[in-house]
Amino acid sequence: MPEHRVGTQEEWLADRRELLTAEKEHFRRGDELARRRQQLPWVPVEKEYVFDTDGGRKTLADLFDGRPQLLVYHFMFGFGYNVDEQNPGCTGCSFVADHFDAAIPHLNGHDVTLVAESLAPLEELRPYKRRMGWRFPWISSGGGDFKFDFGAAFTEEQRREGADYNFKHLDEVPWPQREGMSAFALEDGTVFHTYSTYDRGVEQFMGTFGFFDVAPFGRNEESPSDWWQRHDEYETRQEEAR
Amino acid sequence: MPEHKTATLEEFEAAREELLAEEKEHTRRTDELAEKRRALPWVPLEKQYELETVDGTRSLADLFDVRSQLLVYHFMFGPSYEAGCPTCSSMADGMNGVLPHLHARDLTLLLVSRAPIEKLQAFKERMGWSIPWASSADSDFNFDFGASFEVEQTREQMPPEDQLPPIAAHNAKATGTDLPEYISEMFGATTFALQDGTVYRTYTTTGRGVEFLMPYYPILDRAPKGRDEGDAFQTWIRRHDDYA
Repeated sequence: MPEHRVGTQEEWLADRRELLTAEKEHFRRGDELARRRQQLPWVPVEKEYVFDTDGGRKTLADLFDGRPQLLVYHFMFGFGYNVDEQNPGCTGCSFVADHFDAAIPHLNGHDVTLVAESLAPLEELRPYKRRMGWRFPWISSGGGDFKFDFGAAFTEEQRREGADYNFKHLDEVPWPQREGMSAFALEDGTVFHTYSTYDRGVEQFMGTFGFFDVAPFGRNEESPSDWWQRHDEYETRQEEAR
Repeated sequence: MPEHKTATLEEFEAAREELLAEEKEHTRRTDELAEKRRALPWVPLEKQYELETVDGTRSLADLFDVRSQLLVYHFMFGPSYEAGCPTCSSMADGMNGVLPHLHARDLTLLLVSRAPIEKLQAFKERMGWSIPWASSADSDFNFDFGASFEVEQTREQMPPEDQLPPIAAHNAKATGTDLPEYISEMFGATTFALQDGTVYRTYTTTGRGVEFLMPYYPILDRAPKGRDEGDAFQTWIRRHDDYA
């Protein structure tokens, strides 16, 4: 017998029905939060940001690519979990990015453009993108303040003197970069910042956790770094461990 | 100026901070519900199910593929469908990209449908997926787990078309079948555990419970216009190669 409690079909069904009520309430609460997000005021973006992209130099407004909504993932490159010279993309951000290509045709079909941005130059991003087999647009924000202004990178001075991170003030910032997602709207030629999320907020884009949350053993981790690898590393690292 | 309310950065940040507290509470509630799911009793399966795969007939226990957890997605692809359900296809897109991460955590993913295996295999090749897909054409599996219903029964009992959400007729057309045949299949996810040779059912979900398989929704939930679906719920979703 397993260590886990075993029950009859009827016992399972009774417990499952009770849980379903709680799950439905949770969904409705999720919808309410989505509505609240849409009600946040929009902030006009005053600065001109310019990025290096596969299609040349582009402004923030250009990045919308003909759609009225833009989401930008703040991808940590050259810094992050399990990063070295051979493996410059953050393992956590790489895990997030593994979810993008599947979503993009559907997002683009529904008026949303999704891109990833990093401080590193395109020449450094391209080989890593090829290795990972990704197709989503990945742009370099290295020439400007974008990543800093949207709370995903911190200058030396900010780190020493303190800065806001995730809508709270920190007296000292322990890291030069963090992961995050920022949303923008384009209307009549003006770009508006509508939303940003960081830290566990980014977990919402990692559908994989949703699978674990319904699986018998759950996430089964003390911390994600117990098991996180890049998608092409699981086998080689297991081999090395043996 | 846009119709939407605009504000200064300070006003935005104050409103955002307040919302963040509620988002955090919601995330913690997500964790709590996951814990409750894991606390459900496991039910040993009494029947032996045999499903068809491209490698021949396999028992459900074999389909765990040496891992101890199995998540079956009941993909709507009935015997008379000419192509897979577009909404289910959008979910399979998401699954396909994250298989290495799921496998690394001892979880095998399997699609199961009632169409014959040759039809499933041809569609899988069209969509470029590598997820294993089994046919329950000759098995009670789909019926026992609430993912298929007898078409004759559906014809007799189904509500009039105008009482069904528009997505039903929309997807029936997109799969090349009629409405009763389309809705005789049901989407859903069922999870199983394998221990000492016994297969246990641990969890089943359908309806909005499968949203965890739809990677675009959490992104849309954070976009300026949100899901932006209204009554046209999910009718905007196409197979990834069907968008113009």
